[in-house]
Amino acid sequence: MGPNVTETVISCRSVSKIFGPDPVGHLARLKADPQTSSVGYVQAVRDVDLDIQRGEMLVVMGLSGSGKSTLVRCLSRLIEITGGSVTIEGQDIASLSETALIDLRRRKMGMVFQSFGLLPHRTVLDNVAFPLEMRGQDRSTRYARAREMLDLVGLKGREGYFPRELSGGQQQRVGIARSLAIEPDIWFLDEPFSALDPLIRREMQDEFLRLKGLLNKTIIFITHDFDEALRLADRIAIMKDGRIEQCDTPDQIVLHPATEYVAKFTAEIDRARVVRAGSLARPLAAVPEGDATAATLTIRDLARHLVADRRAVIPVADAEGKIIGGMDRQEALDVLLGDAK
Amino acid sequence: MTRPAARSSGMAGLLLALALFLAFGKLLLPEGLIRPPEWLVQPFADWINAAFYFLQNDLGLMALTRAFSDVVEWLLDVTANLLYGKSRWPDIGPIPWIVVAATAFMAGYALKGWRLAALSGGTFVWIALMGQWKWAMETLSVIVVAAPFSVFLGLVMGVLAWRSPRFERILNPILNIAQSLPHFAYMIPVVVFIGVGPKAGAIVTIIFSVPPMIRMTLLGLKRVPEEVIEAGKMAGSTRWQLLSRVRIPTARPEILIGVNQVIMQCLAMVVLASFIGMPGLGQKLLQLLQALKIGLSVEIGVTIVLLAVTLDRLSKAWALRLPEHDEPSARWLHRNRLLVIWLSLCIAGLVLAQFVPYLHEVERKQALSVAGPIDAAMDQVIRVIAPVTAWLRWFLITWVLIPMRDAYLWLPFTAVLALLAAVGWAIGGLRSALICLGYFGLIALSGWWDRAMITVYMVNISVLIAALIGLPLGIWAARNPPRAARILLICDTAQTFPSFIYLIPVIMLFGVNDVAVVAAVVVFAAVPIVRYTIEGLSNVPPELIEAAEMSGATRRQTLWHVRLPMALPTMLVGANQSVMFSLFMVIIAAFIGTQDLGQEMQRALSSTDVGKGLVLGFAVAVMGLMTDHLITRWSEDRKRALGF
Amino acid sequence: MKSARSMFASAAVLALLAPTAWAEDSTDPIIIPLHNWSSQIVMSHVVGDVLKSKGNAVEYVTTDSQAVYESVRLGDVSLELEVWEGAFGASFDAAVAKGGIHAAGAHNAVTREDWWYPMWTKEACPGLPDWKALNDCAALFATPETGEKGRFLGGPVDWLKHDAEKVDALGLNFAVVNAGSAAAIWAELGAAEKTKTPIVVFNWTPNFAEAVWPGEFVEFPKWEAGCNEDPAVGMFPDKTYDCGNPATGYLKIAAWDGMKDKWPAAYATISKVSLTNAQIAEMAKLVDIDGMEPEDAAKSWMDANPDVWNAWLN
Repeated sequence: MGPNVTETVISCRSVSKIFGPDPVGHLARLKADPQTSSVGYVQAVRDVDLDIQRGEMLVVMGLSGSGKSTLVRCLSRLIEITGGSVTIEGQDIASLSETALIDLRRRKMGMVFQSFGLLPHRTVLDNVAFPLEMRGQDRSTRYARAREMLDLVGLKGREGYFPRELSGGQQQRVGIARSLAIEPDIWFLDEPFSALDPLIRREMQDEFLRLKGLLNKTIIFITHDFDEALRLADRIAIMKDGRIEQCDTPDQIVLHPATEYVAKFTAEIDRARVVRAGSLARPLAAVPEGDATAATLTIRDLARHLVADRRAVIPVADAEGKIIGGMDRQEALDVLLGDAK
Repeated sequence: MTRPAARSSGMAGLLLALALFLAFGKLLLPEGLIRPPEWLVQPFADWINAAFYFLQNDLGLMALTRAFSDVVEWLLDVTANLLYGKSRWPDIGPIPWIVVAATAFMAGYALKGWRLAALSGGTFVWIALMGQWKWAMETLSVIVVAAPFSVFLGLVMGVLAWRSPRFERILNPILNIAQSLPHFAYMIPVVVFIGVGPKAGAIVTIIFSVPPMIRMTLLGLKRVPEEVIEAGKMAGSTRWQLLSRVRIPTARPEILIGVNQVIMQCLAMVVLASFIGMPGLGQKLLQLLQALKIGLSVEIGVTIVLLAVTLDRLSKAWALRLPEHDEPSARWLHRNRLLVIWLSLCIAGLVLAQFVPYLHEVERKQALSVAGPIDAAMDQVIRVIAPVTAWLRWFLITWVLIPMRDAYLWLPFTAVLALLAAVGWAIGGLRSALICLGYFGLIALSGWWDRAMITVYMVNISVLIAALIGLPLGIWAARNPPRAARILLICDTAQTFPSFIYLIPVIMLFGVNDVAVVAAVVVFAAVPIVRYTIEGLSNVPPELIEAAEMSGATRRQTLWHVRLPMALPTMLVGANQSVMFSLFMVIIAAFIGTQDLGQEMQRALSSTDVGKGLVLGFAVAVMGLMTDHLITRWSEDRKRALGF
Repeated sequence: MKSARSMFASAAVLALLAPTAWAEDSTDPIIIPLHNWSSQIVMSHVVGDVLKSKGNAVEYVTTDSQAVYESVRLGDVSLELEVWEGAFGASFDAAVAKGGIHAAGAHNAVTREDWWYPMWTKEACPGLPDWKALNDCAALFATPETGEKGRFLGGPVDWLKHDAEKVDALGLNFAVVNAGSAAAIWAELGAAEKTKTPIVVFNWTPNFAEAVWPGEFVEFPKWEAGCNEDPAVGMFPDKTYDCGNPATGYLKIAAWDGMKDKWPAAYATISKVSLTNAQIAEMAKLVDIDGMEPEDAAKSWMDANPDVWNAWLN
C-alpha cells in the first residue's frame, strides 16, 4: 500500500512545544544544556520531525499525555509552536498573518474533535453549514452543501435537530460532516471515536473507512487505541513523552519495533492481523511453482492457505500480479501462531 | 498550598495573648491605644467630597451623567406610556391589564408549560384585581428599562474583562466592594449626579444589578469548552465571528442566569430605590407603612414576592430551556402556533377591554382587598403574644444585648485589631492577618469606630441567634426531601418579601430598641443558614452514610461524625451569606432606631453628603469583605482536607 | 371624577380667556415632590390639579423629605408645598444659603411639635398635660432598656430636637430613645394602643395621628425667645432648653428660583396657596382614615372646597 504520489503536504522540522512561564527561553536553555531542570514547564512536543504525503493517512498514536493532541494542534496552528517549523504545502504557517491563517483554514483544513465541539445552540444543519457561513457563503448555497454532507454521513432527516437531541455517534457524524463541508485537503481527526461506545466505535470506523475511500484526502488521525491505528493507518507515528518513538507502516512497527517502548506496545498485538504477505516477502532466486498470493493480504487472511499450502516458500505478487518475492511459510506460520521472535 | 500549621498557630496564639493583654490591661493603656487618637483619623469624607466636587463641576461629568440620564428618561417615558399611560410619546398606552396578563400567561406556557403559565398569568390577574395595577406598572416600567441596560452593560464589561486579564484584575476588587456596599451608599452619588425621580431609580437599579451580570458573563465565557472554540477556529472564524457566533452563544446558559440575577436584583431595589424617587410599588409601600396600614402593605409585599417569583421562574425557564426541533414537515402556522395564539389573545383582549372597562383597568374602588383580615390577625397576634414578647424583650435587653454591647464598646480598638489579626493568622497565615488588620484598621482611621462596633455587635448577635434557630431547623428539614422543599420555599419567600415590611411588626412586638432590630435582622440572617445546612446535608454522598450505618453508627453519630463534617464547607458558605444579609439589614434597621453606621448613613442620605455616605458604606463593605475572606479561606481549607 | 374633570375644563377655558401673562408658561412639566405622609401628598395633588386646570403640565416625583431641598435648589424639582419649621427648617435654610430656592408663600397654619401622649396615657397619669406630672408617673413609662427612668420615644436623631437637653434642664426622670423614622413612632403607638400601655412620644400637628389616636401635647414651660440659648431666660436661671418648643411654627411653601421666569402664572398661583390646620388635617383624614387614594382624596377635597382653590387662581 502507501501513497503512490510522493508530494509532501505537511512537513515538521524539530517542532517543539513547551508550556510554562517562559517557553522560548526554556527551550533555549534546554538546547544549551539538556540537563536543565524542567520544573514548572511541560514539554508537550519535543523535536518532532515528520513528513506527511498527499493522500496519506497518518495515525498518531500514544497514551494520554504523550503529546499527540498537542502535536496535531501545532500542525493547524491552533497552538503556536515554541521551536522548529511547520510547513504546509511549502508555506511556513508560523509566518502567516491572522487573515492568511484564517483563509488557509477556510480553504484547506477540516477537523473532528473528541467531544465533537458542536455548537449547542445551532441545529445540525446550521452546525454543518457553520464553516461555510464563516466563509461568507450565502444561505441557500451553504444549506445545500450542508444537506449534501449530512446525506454523506447518513444523517438525512435530522437537519432540524439540536446536537443534544442526538446520540454520541450521531453527534460525531455531524462533526465529520462539518469538517468536510468546505472540502478540505487536509483532514485532522483528534480521537474522533474515543468518546463512543465500543459497538458504535466499530461502526464509525467502518463508516470512516468508507468515507476515506470516497475522498482522497491527507488525513492525520489521532488515537490511543492501537487496534484502531492498525485498522486504519497507512503509517503510524507512536509518541511518548512528546517524542515520536517510531513512524512507520503498521507491519514494520510490529515486525521491527524501533525501541523498547514500541516493542512493549506491540507485544500484545495479534501480528497475523497486521503483517501482510508483502512485508514477509524476500527476493527470490527462483520463483516457486504454483499460485502467488497478493502482497496486501494479511497473514490472518492467508491462514487457511498457509496451513494447506505445503510449499516452503510461497510467492508473493503485487497488485499488478508481478511477483515481488517469496514468503517463508514457516515464518508466516510463526506469525500466525504468535510465537515469532 | 499547605501551610506550616504549627508555626502559624503559635503566632496566632501570640496575637491572641496580645489582644487579651490589651483588653485586660485597659486601665493601664494610654488613651491613644483605647480609641484611635485624633491625629490618626483621616478626613476620608472630605477627600471623597473634594473628588466628587472635582468630577461634578471641574470635569463636567455632570453634563455627561445628565445626558445619559436623559436617554434613560426617554426610554422610561416610552415604557411609562405603554404600561400605565403617562402622557408621553408614543401616547398609545396604557395597555389593558387583561392583555398584559394574557402575554404573561403565554410566556409561561411557551417556556415551561401550564404550571408556569398559571403562575405568571395569575400574578398579573392578582395585581389587577387587588387594584395595584398602576403601581405595579410604574415599577415594571422602570425595571423593563433598567434590566436590559444592566444586561447590556454587564455583557460588555464581562467580555472586556474576559479579553483583558488586566481589566479583570482591576474589575474584580471593584465588584467585590460594589457587592458589599450597602444600598444606601450607592444612592447618594446618584442623587448628586442624576437627581431624583424614576430615572434616578432606574440608574441606581442598573448600578446595583450590573455586577452579577458581569460575573456570570465572564464565567460563561471562561467555561466554553476548548473544543468548541477550536472547532470555531478551524472553521476559519475571525475573532469577532468567534466571539459573537461561538463563544457568546455557547455561554448562553450562564449569561441567562446572569439575566435572571439582574432581574432579581432589580426587584430587590424596588423599595429602596423609591427613596430617591422610583415610583410604583415601593413608594406606595413606604407610604402605607408610614400610615401604619400593615394589611395593605402586606398586599403589596405579596405582589412584590409574586412578581419576583414569576420573573425568576420565567427567566430561569428561559435560561434552562433546551432547544427542540420542529418536524420539517410542519407548516408555518403549526411552528408558530404559540405566537398566533398570543396575538389572537391580545387582539381579543384589546377589543374586550374597549367594551368592559373592568378589563382595561380595575379602579381602586373596585379592588379586592385582604387587608382587613390581615390587620385583624396581626392585632390578635400582638395581643396574644404581648406577654411573651415583653418577657423576651426584658430578658434579651437586660441579660444579653446591653452587656454585650457595653463589652464591644469597652474593648480598646487595639485589642480588637490584635484579636482579628489572631483569627486571621489562625485561618490563613500572615496574608489573612494583614487583610483583617488592613480592613479594620481602615475603620479605625475613618473615625467611626464606636458606631462600627455597634454594627458589629448587632450583626454578631443576630447571626448567632440565626444560627441557633437555623441550624436545628435545617438539620430537621434535611431529614426528608419534601419537608426540605417546603422549608426552602418559606426561606425564598421570607427573603424576597420586602425587608421594610418586617420593620413595623417587630416594632409593634418589641418597641423601638435593639431587640426589634435584632429580630428583624434574624429573619434575614437565618435564611441562608437554613438553606445551606439543608443543601450541605442533602449532598453528602450516600455511600458515606451507608458506610457509617454499616459500621453501626446511630443516627446521631452519623449526623455528628459524618454528615455535619461533610456538610461543613457548604454550611460555611451559608454563614458567610448570613453575615452579608445581616450587614445589609442592620443598615436598613436604622429606620427602627439604632446608633450604628446605618443611622449615620440614613442621615448622609437625607443631607446628600456623598463623602460621608461612601465612607460609611466602605466601613460596612470592609466588614463584609473581611468575613468573606476568612470564611472562604476556611471553607476552602476544609474542602481540601475533605478531598473535594 | 367626571364632575371634577368637567370643572377643570371650564377652569381651563376661563384661564385661556383671562387677559394675563400666564400664556408665557413653559410647556415643560412642573415637578412636584411627594413625600411619605398623606397630607403633603394630597395637598400636592390638589395644587397639581389646579395647575393642570390652568394648562400647565404637572408631574409628581417621590423624594426624601430632607433631600428635596437640594433638588428644588437645582431645579430638578420645582417646588415644595410643606416646609415645616421644626422638621425641615434647617435643611431649607441650608439650601437657601446655597442659593436657588426661596420661600414663595406660607400657609395660614401653625405647626407644633413636642412631647405628646395618646389619651389612654392620661387615664394612667391624671396629672397630665402638666409636665411636672411626668416625673410622678416616670415609673409608668419605664422599660427594660431605660431601667428606673421613664422612656420618651423621640424622632430620628437628625431632626435635632434637643430632647436630651430638655430632660436635663427640667430635671426629668426620663431617658430619650430615638426612633429611626416616623413610621417607627406610629408602630409603637399602634402597639401601645392594643394594650393601652402609657407612652410619651414625639409628635406634631397637623398630622394624621391626631385623627387616629386622640391625644395632647405635654405643656412644658412656655417657650420664649432665647430660652434655648440663654441660660438666664426661662424657668431655671442656669439651664438652656428649659422650656417647650414654640407652639406656633411656620408652614411655608418653597420654590425653585427659576420658577418665577419659567412658569410665571403657575408661580403666581402657588404663592397664593394657603391652607389652614383644619384643611390640612381634613386632607390627611381622607386618606388615613377614610382609606381613599391620594389622587381621589384630592379630587374629593376640591369638590368640597371650591372656594378655597378658586381663590388661588385670581
